[in-house]
Amino acid sequence: MLDQFILGLSVVMQPNVLVYAFFGVFLGQLIGVLPGVGAITAISLLLPVTFYLDATSSMILLAGIYYGSQYGGSIASILLNLPGTPSSVVTCLEGYPLAQSNRAGLALFVAAFSSFLGGMVGVAILVLAAIPMTVIALKFGAPEYAMLVIIGLLAASMIGAGSQIRSLAMVVLGIALGLVGADATTGYYRFVAMPELADGISLVSLAMGLFGVSEVIRHASRRPARGAPPLSVNMRDVIPTRAQAKSLIFPIMRGSSIGSFFGALPGTGAAIASFMAYALEKRFSRNPEKFGKGHLPGLAAPESANNAASQTGFIPTLTLGVPGDAVMALIIGALILNGIIPGPRLIVDQPELFWGVIASFFVGNIILLLINIPLIKIWVLLLRIPYQKLYPMILLMICVGVYSHRTSVTDVLLTLAFGVLGYLMKNYRFEPAPVLLGFVLGPLLEDNFRRTMLLYGGDFTIFGTRPISAILSICSVILIVWAIWSGLSQRRKTARDTMKRNTLTSPR
Amino acid sequence: MFKKLLTTLPLVAALAMPAAAQEFPDRALRIVHGFGPGGNADTVSRIMAEQMSKGLGQPVVVESRPGAGGTVASGYVSNEDPDGYTMQLMVGGHAVAAALYESLPYESVDGFTFISTLGQFPFMVATRAGEYDSIEALIAAAAAAPGTIKIGHSGVGSTQHLTGELLDLRTAADFLHIPYKGGAAASTALMGGEVDVVIDTGTVIRPQSEAGVYDILAITSAERWPDAPDVPTVSETVAEGFAVVSWTGIGMPAGVPDEIADRIRTEVHAALAAPNVNKMIASLGAKPSPSTGEEMTALIEGQISVWSEVIESAGIDKR
Repeated sequence: MLDQFILGLSVVMQPNVLVYAFFGVFLGQLIGVLPGVGAITAISLLLPVTFYLDATSSMILLAGIYYGSQYGGSIASILLNLPGTPSSVVTCLEGYPLAQSNRAGLALFVAAFSSFLGGMVGVAILVLAAIPMTVIALKFGAPEYAMLVIIGLLAASMIGAGSQIRSLAMVVLGIALGLVGADATTGYYRFVAMPELADGISLVSLAMGLFGVSEVIRHASRRPARGAPPLSVNMRDVIPTRAQAKSLIFPIMRGSSIGSFFGALPGTGAAIASFMAYALEKRFSRNPEKFGKGHLPGLAAPESANNAASQTGFIPTLTLGVPGDAVMALIIGALILNGIIPGPRLIVDQPELFWGVIASFFVGNIILLLINIPLIKIWVLLLRIPYQKLYPMILLMICVGVYSHRTSVTDVLLTLAFGVLGYLMKNYRFEPAPVLLGFVLGPLLEDNFRRTMLLYGGDFTIFGTRPISAILSICSVILIVWAIWSGLSQRRKTARDTMKRNTLTSPR
Repeated sequence: MFKKLLTTLPLVAALAMPAAAQEFPDRALRIVHGFGPGGNADTVSRIMAEQMSKGLGQPVVVESRPGAGGTVASGYVSNEDPDGYTMQLMVGGHAVAAALYESLPYESVDGFTFISTLGQFPFMVATRAGEYDSIEALIAAAAAAPGTIKIGHSGVGSTQHLTGELLDLRTAADFLHIPYKGGAAASTALMGGEVDVVIDTGTVIRPQSEAGVYDILAITSAERWPDAPDVPTVSETVAEGFAVVSWTGIGMPAGVPDEIADRIRTEVHAALAAPNVNKMIASLGAKPSPSTGEEMTALIEGQISVWSEVIESAGIDKR
């Protein structure tokens, strides 16, 4: 494999190809920073350009936009609580509190570096294990996906910073919002109050509203702070200390593994990977109470996960010719326009293309790291602008971004409505992140569960008789038991503590 | 009085038209389509727009109005002025929607001036390599064990789905139809063994058959397809008269004056002859197919009646 990878490197290192790798990741990074403007918009606008490029260069360019946008997505999340891409919603959870406590530079550095490492792990798996991963991915049928999503939903209820019941309620709200639109099994329209809702609520509107717009409202309702906050942008404050770096090694490794796995499954993708990585980190952390207040491992794990996923997301695309998501479908479209039919024969018939593209991921990730570190200083300066001068601009950008997504005014209005909802939720201490996870996972669960029932004639035992599904079922049961057990022991502990306190303070 | 004025207005407009038509177009035109940025409809619109603007001497702008399977865009276009400046890129889903929706905010045939089809493409019936010798064998197996052989399709109410249901209707077979989110997901399910058959376009099926993963058992067009002359049609094997193609085409609001419609048609046909447009259409597994307005109307009317019958007999929920 390694000599083929070197063949690929020799393709990418040609200056006329390298320039497209650079241009792609740079553009992707910029697109990712803009809230709501996704890679898909950028790629579809650039698609005509690929008429004039050869297949390898256009693939490298478009792919660069895709994973570059994952990098960029974290910047607006950390600085402004604006998830630029759905997968960077989780980045807001720890990144924004860090920025609020004057550690934006550190957060950006950790995000960039974790993204880089995650991306590299993804590339390594792409090089070494693309074919075995494909075999595993094909073993995932409807029952396996259904069980996987159940585990995801259980994890979702652990994401929130507050009580589990509140998170659970928000997951359910997210699932309910996800019901809007055509029912995938029968095509029946549910809660379609107007034709614009026939395809459901857009994830971008929901994310932008609950996070971005609600933050703007929250700031607007406050008395503006006098003068700009003092900000230090010393490179020294940006780089984590040795102890901090050490505490990030395992989170990044765990995040990268989760990301690599979920990325390779067609149809799940980076967003779920980052949520799962965060939930896992919180679950296994010795101090879960630190999460949600700017805890570095909670930033590093999902960042590495979503970048690993965006690399391994190319596995089904490249090995099977089956696009894992809409962006991949576009990239395949660009290949077809160039007269290359992507599919299982790609790796044999077009080794320069196949390995060139993979090698470009390797080079692209390095370029991204190199352009990101110096940019941190500039990004942090953005925070010097007083928020009340910044937020009209932010609102405008959100509206443009959401509109560009589906060119729908309804989506823009919905985003503003979700902003109000998000503001109210925050006031009553309900977390927005579980809403989003429920929104993403609910339809996936319904879809795969009902498909399982259709495929196997309504037989529930199928979840236990297929090996992978059986393992996943056991995992989900363990998760439930664990959640109940830890909840109970927590309660017992607090009860014991209060009793102790009472006996100590009670008058003799 | 006012009503009278309204009815005479188009007449006056029509009288004034020849002079206007000479100057047509004197400003930017647009192509509206009902799908998201980056989909096939968007790509075809953009490349048509680029080519047509050369011939028309005016910019042609692409506008995406996605939603509800393209019906949002159709509703919008059919209510626009028939002044020749608004075109719609339509797809086979236009005929499906006419049959599938309980009520639509437009008349599917009378609400439009159809200009020309751009491309027509057949569907292919595919199975995993080596599982069935022929389409006859597949249909016989599906007839012998009703409701056990599974067809994965790209979504309830998609042309792919309805084509599968039409097979049930026209042959003795009784397939179990399993919905997926898009053709790619259905294709993955076929590879993984979750379903036994996929009916989809050449773009989904051909790469896999060339790699020896799928066998193409039959093609759904009335005649054999020039790109795949060895593949028998469904019509010549198991269901005589079976003919399904999907298509893309250009339509305008009803009432566009003939001169303007003809001018646009000429430009559409010229654009279709351009190599890059031709290549684009072919890359979608379609055959470039310039037509007259009457031919396009007949195609759509025929499909509406077939799909209505299928939706009725398969018991698919209307929307």
